[in-house]
Amino acid sequence: MPSVSKPSASKADASRARVSRTLVAKALAFAACATALLTFPGWAANPYILSAGIVVLSYAVLSTSWNFVGGFTGYISLGHAAFFGLGAYGTALLITRLEMPSFVAWALAGVGVALFAVPVGWAALRVRGASFVIVSIALVLIMLLVFQSWSSLTGGSNGLVVPRPFPDMLRPQHHETFFYLFVALLAVTLLAWWLIDRSRFGMGLKAIREDEDKAEALGVPTYAYKLVVYVVSAFFTALGGGMYALWFGDLDPVFQFSILIGSYMVLMALLGGVRQLYGPLLGALIVGTALEYFKLEFGDTQFHLVATGLLLAVVVLFMPDGIIPAGMKLVDRFTPERSSIREMTAAELLERDDDERPYPREKATR
Amino acid sequence: MDGALIFQSLVLGVLLGGLYALLAAGLTLYFGIMRVVMIAHSAFLILAAYLAWYFHRETGIDPLFSLFITVPLFFGVGVLMQRLLVARLRPVTLTMMSVLLTFAIALTIEGLLGFAFSGTQRRIQLDYSGASLELFGARFAVVKLITFGLAVASLAALYVIMKHTRFGQSLRATIQHRDAAQLVGIKTDRVAGYGFGLGLATAAIGGTALSLDATIYPSLHWHWIGPLMAIIVVGGLGSIPGAAIAAMVLGIGQSLLQIPMGTTWAQTIFYVALFATLMLRPQGFFGGRLAQRF
Repeated sequence: MPSVSKPSASKADASRARVSRTLVAKALAFAACATALLTFPGWAANPYILSAGIVVLSYAVLSTSWNFVGGFTGYISLGHAAFFGLGAYGTALLITRLEMPSFVAWALAGVGVALFAVPVGWAALRVRGASFVIVSIALVLIMLLVFQSWSSLTGGSNGLVVPRPFPDMLRPQHHETFFYLFVALLAVTLLAWWLIDRSRFGMGLKAIREDEDKAEALGVPTYAYKLVVYVVSAFFTALGGGMYALWFGDLDPVFQFSILIGSYMVLMALLGGVRQLYGPLLGALIVGTALEYFKLEFGDTQFHLVATGLLLAVVVLFMPDGIIPAGMKLVDRFTPERSSIREMTAAELLERDDDERPYPREKATR
Repeated sequence: MDGALIFQSLVLGVLLGGLYALLAAGLTLYFGIMRVVMIAHSAFLILAAYLAWYFHRETGIDPLFSLFITVPLFFGVGVLMQRLLVARLRPVTLTMMSVLLTFAIALTIEGLLGFAFSGTQRRIQLDYSGASLELFGARFAVVKLITFGLAVASLAALYVIMKHTRFGQSLRATIQHRDAAQLVGIKTDRVAGYGFGLGLATAAIGGTALSLDATIYPSLHWHWIGPLMAIIVVGGLGSIPGAAIAAMVLGIGQSLLQIPMGTTWAQTIFYVALFATLMLRPQGFFGGRLAQRF
């Protein structure tokens, strides 16, 4: 019937046009953000702003790494600071003790921490929910204890100086180089997240998040999947830590194994949205900038703790899905076609699905 | 290493274990009622210790009397916290989100303490601070005995409340099966709120006891939350006797290990026990099958 096929073809065309238009918009937005990010060292007012930018980027790397576990499986780890600190100390110790080249040490430390995460994950992932969180907190506290007490190796509370990888660079140049290194690391981390997100493996992980028992009943090897993604997450977190060590050049157990760092990762990812690729990045931009501002304005007072605590409470209570989904819902409100309330009866729906004809607009939105 | 030293450590371990048991009982209560892991428990502990210190500094009265203020206050705060904050969370993700929420509360309390009293280490000086009793060649500080006495008395009170009052009965019914409890006419929401208040009241008692013989500073609560969390996992989440036994065993273990290993490394016993429990018996040594799922 030509009268039927013609309008349906034009509908397909229209929807294709809409898809390609959103694609173009997405590509443009991506290009704009990427350009803004890559030219940041050019328009940063002074080296301090640039170094604050590096801190925010390192938070983005850590938070995205955290999101491998938190976003896909829904297991909330408050203890990823352990992997951050181990990556940093591993890199530093391999350079100073074994005199390895900086970036070889960095990569090796990442692999080493990933290996370390296997037995840790093996134990921690045997329990769910609250017990898992407890174990993750315990992990940081143990590491803090060990690295503070074992001062013959780690320098204890006196700290550990990491040799700079580019000794003849001036400070602004050094910052700029590390800015791009962090951007590259962030890109790789995001790419890995995106690849898992689209894979069968990612599907299995999300099934664990929604209902672990059902996923297992359907044949998802839940334990192995959780363990693999935990190790991947630890690996990227350690790389972030190692890069931080190379850039900052001075390590202190109280900071590296601080439970606060772990909670920042969680807060940033939750704020942005754990199910979104760019959620943790957005969260890191907001929280990281705010933290740097607070530290600048209020100095050594404990005000940033209060601010972090209150923000986390607000996010958990009112916006547990994050900004991006909340924002998309807001946008959806103003687009008439994707109204969340479908004002159609089941009979009307059936009729529409049976019939190939496009449904008249007035009827659909009545 | 002689006998008297070991005996002294043993008794000190029992005294410490008593305090751990009281605090772990509070944590177990929250978990039983709402499936909530209360990270802020130890932050409230330190808050109570600060209030006792402040009370003593301002009035000069023995800090133990601050209990008359802090216990009702904390009970009220606990009820409000349950009704206004925890009950608002989505049931599906309650356990995870409650951890984050109480973590946020802990951070806020730590920050506010630092804001109000600065990060300086504080200690209460009492005329009986240095006093000690001698028993079989070992010496025990009086303040530690008071702490233990408080802990045991409160645990006994908790036991009486839970087992022999109408409120305790409805609380236990709520813990066992919320819907069924509602069906027989228990106002589970209200009971859950009171249960939360009861849990927080244990933190007030523990904190006051702690303030007698410990140096306090705002970030001290991280040193308490790790051991306490380990205790409730080892004991099996949700089991008060389990938590009390685990608290005693680990407290004594820590105290004995301090002789050969020193104070810092002795703390690792909690974490070793935690990981060993997860490997051997993830549901804890006294918990039911419930514990593994949360």
